[in-house]
Amino acid sequence: MDHVWILPAIPAAIFILVALFGRLMPRQGDFLVIIGGLTLVGLVFSMFPGFQHAYHDGHFAPNGTNVFAFDWVNIGQGFFIIPFSTYVDAITMVMLPVVTIVALMVMIYSVSYMHGEPRYFWYYAVLSLFVAAMLTLVLSGNLIQLYLAWEGVGLASFLLIGFYWERQSAAEAAKKAFITTRIGDVGLLIGIILLWRATGTFDIQSIIAAAKSGAIDHTYLTVAMLFLFGGAIGKSAQFPLHVWLPDAMEGPTPVSALIHAATMVVAGVYLVARFSPVYAEVLIARDFIFYTGLLTAVMAGTMGLVANDIKRVLAYSTVSQLGFMFVALGTGAVGAAMFHLFTHAFFKALLFLGSGSVIHATHAQEVEQLGGLRKKMPWTAATFIIGSLALAGIPIFAGFWSKDEIVAATLEGAPVWTFVTLLATAFLTAVYSTRLVLLTFFGEPKDHHAYDHAHESPLIIIAPLALLATLATVAGFFALDQVGQALGFVGGIGQLVYLEHAHAFTEPDWPLASLATVVALAGIGVGVAFWHGDARRAVTARQWAPDLHALLVNRYYMDKLYQGIIDHAILGLAGLVAWFDKRIVNETGVDGGAQTIGYFGYRLKFLQTGRIPNYALGMAVGMVAIAIIAFSSQG
Amino acid sequence: MIPLTNFLVLSALLFGIGFYGVLARRSAILILISVEIMLAAVAINFIAFAAFRDPKGFSGLVFALFVIAVAAAEVGLALGIVLRLFRERRTANVDAANTLKW
Amino acid sequence: MTGGLVSLLVMGPIFVALIALYMMSRITGGEVIFYLASTVILGGALGAVLLPNLVHSSLSLIATLMGVAAIYLMLLSEFLALVQILVYGGGVIILVIFGLMLTNAQDDPVVMDGSQKPFAFGVGALISGLFVAAAVMAHWGDAEATLIPFTTFGERLFRDFSLPIIIVAFLLDIAFTGALVNARRAESAASEEAAK
Repeated sequence: MDHVWILPAIPAAIFILVALFGRLMPRQGDFLVIIGGLTLVGLVFSMFPGFQHAYHDGHFAPNGTNVFAFDWVNIGQGFFIIPFSTYVDAITMVMLPVVTIVALMVMIYSVSYMHGEPRYFWYYAVLSLFVAAMLTLVLSGNLIQLYLAWEGVGLASFLLIGFYWERQSAAEAAKKAFITTRIGDVGLLIGIILLWRATGTFDIQSIIAAAKSGAIDHTYLTVAMLFLFGGAIGKSAQFPLHVWLPDAMEGPTPVSALIHAATMVVAGVYLVARFSPVYAEVLIARDFIFYTGLLTAVMAGTMGLVANDIKRVLAYSTVSQLGFMFVALGTGAVGAAMFHLFTHAFFKALLFLGSGSVIHATHAQEVEQLGGLRKKMPWTAATFIIGSLALAGIPIFAGFWSKDEIVAATLEGAPVWTFVTLLATAFLTAVYSTRLVLLTFFGEPKDHHAYDHAHESPLIIIAPLALLATLATVAGFFALDQVGQALGFVGGIGQLVYLEHAHAFTEPDWPLASLATVVALAGIGVGVAFWHGDARRAVTARQWAPDLHALLVNRYYMDKLYQGIIDHAILGLAGLVAWFDKRIVNETGVDGGAQTIGYFGYRLKFLQTGRIPNYALGMAVGMVAIAIIAFSSQG
Repeated sequence: MIPLTNFLVLSALLFGIGFYGVLARRSAILILISVEIMLAAVAINFIAFAAFRDPKGFSGLVFALFVIAVAAAEVGLALGIVLRLFRERRTANVDAANTLKW
Repeated sequence: MTGGLVSLLVMGPIFVALIALYMMSRITGGEVIFYLASTVILGGALGAVLLPNLVHSSLSLIATLMGVAAIYLMLLSEFLALVQILVYGGGVIILVIFGLMLTNAQDDPVVMDGSQKPFAFGVGALISGLFVAAAVMAHWGDAEATLIPFTTFGERLFRDFSLPIIIVAFLLDIAFTGALVNARRAESAASEEAAK
């Protein structure tokens, strides 16, 4: 536990090695990255016994171990300290397996998926960089380190979305993702500075302690925590900054699975969970989180209904599920949020990798070109269906358990309509996942060229899928007390990650679970009714409400709105600033100053007569003046 | 005997005359002559101080000697330059050497 | 010729007055010599800077420099007086007159004095006045000029000041080499011009 800094250090070192020398290595150094990933998984699991030990001693949860390493920056006798520290607690211990396992799966999968791509070594290097940054993020014990890692994962995300930068749309998407998340990051930075101003420290646990003791003014704290949540909005693609995530699907599919489904986008969830004791103090900020999450979940769910790109559907689904997590955080159910994060990571990564397998085989990613693939790709289809069932929330699959806890959390203390809305969103989730499965794997092939081309993917792609499918099936059992006890944690994940006075769970709320199951089954039923066979009913529905369809297809016109804002407001402002710069700063300030000097220079240059006697006279006058001054000052 | 002040006054007057010559004259040769007058004034000053104030160390004498030596060097070099000027401009008038102006 | 006449008119009465004063024992012999020498020096200097004829100016300079040598003698440093006569009278003046001849200056029709003459006069008078005031107002005590023997001076010059002497020697060497090179280049440039 004292040496967890090794975890991010390994992939960081591998990043440097592969980025610099990968080109020269056999297989461009991918094996190095995979060995690194494997080592990380091993190390993380080797941490569990020690963690259990500490957990049982009772001094662990909810307080983790804060390992202070050294002061990185120390200005003014402790006035401004940036330490280098790591912090491990239950939240971290949930994040670590998620990050390392999904990363390893993606690394293995990419061997085949990215085979023969140009800049293959660079892909693996940045993958390693991402893992390093992500691990730093979840292990960070102070806010500055967290912020650095936060930007680090953003950078890796940018590089990987724009991996095919030769494609205009990929370059645009990378920029969009980076800039949109930057908007949130500014909020995060402001929040960090505000918290530092109030407490004089960057140490997360000290800040939490100060906030809990009431040392910080309540309004001030609310504002600071809202700014902090701004960072989470950007990173976790919540409304209104959700627009970048669907476009981020321009990146290679394994990247989407790792970064834009399982790990980076949940950094916001992690951040809010990390600060959940503080958010418990400022209920306005927490309610804000709650409603943001709810709105995002509904919006993204409806947009997912009409999207045609298989990856975009999954992206909307991711946004929607992240909304679920924030809903849980907004009710204070940190355990439920982290649990959903945990399960979602596996089944969403599975779905993305499955879609990658389809794309790899058919070179098509529009659902309109696919169909009937279950005959050609049975393994992919089976694992994809498992993932979809988990996403839809069908019992025994992972999503069922975690979503159930979130829905249950809304039942306590939140208005009833939010509960209903959440159930409706869960219903939508089931509908669009059914639609995706039906359109991709069932029915008649729509594009025969793509269909004929299709074939089952090689083992190196199937194996990660199968492993993730297993996890997507069993990951939910961690909620059960019995499983938790077997693993050494009394009460399962629900009590492992918990907050005082918050909703803890050891087993599902059976009546509610039944309701949720019925809703999910209904969703599947509706999905089947609309999209089975030639999807006649769906077409009818589209004709019946064209405006609604257009609204959804155009993503609630959010992107158009943003583009309009950029075109008019920002470019107008930029024009104003440019005018100011050109006229006032340049022509008046710089050129004007230069012209004034030039004018005086032109006038004064005639002093330079070129005649030596004139110069000598000037010298003499100066000398006499100095002599007079010296003489008179002597008295 | 003659007091130190007399020598100093003589030197000051000589120096002023030389100064006037340097500034007023146009011919390079005459400027050179005026500079010689100024140097002589300086040398008188050095020697007077050496004789009156510092008879043991008499560094002033050495300085005066050096002044004479450097003046000789200066005259040689300056005449070379004057000759050059004359060849370029067909005159020894320093006002002719005014290329280095605006 | 007028210059000579003017100097005679100015300096003659001074000489006469000095001799008369000596005769009346109002001033000592040393003082007579000092004032005589001063008159020669200042008269020569004025001639050098005022006379319109270049050759006359140079000859006035000779008078000045010889007077300065006399002053050196009065200050009991014969060695420097000798050096003054040898270097200036024998070297510098010759050089100056060579320069005059080479630049053909007599026939130069330019006006001798520049347009900044009034300023020059002001600055010269001002600086003289300043120095005179400084010399008169200061308290120098009643120290007498002391003889500095030849041998002591020589010993000191070559023992304590040997390095500066060597440096001065190098300086002279370099200066005259430079003058030579300068003059020769000018000559070659002129011959090229002539060839064209």
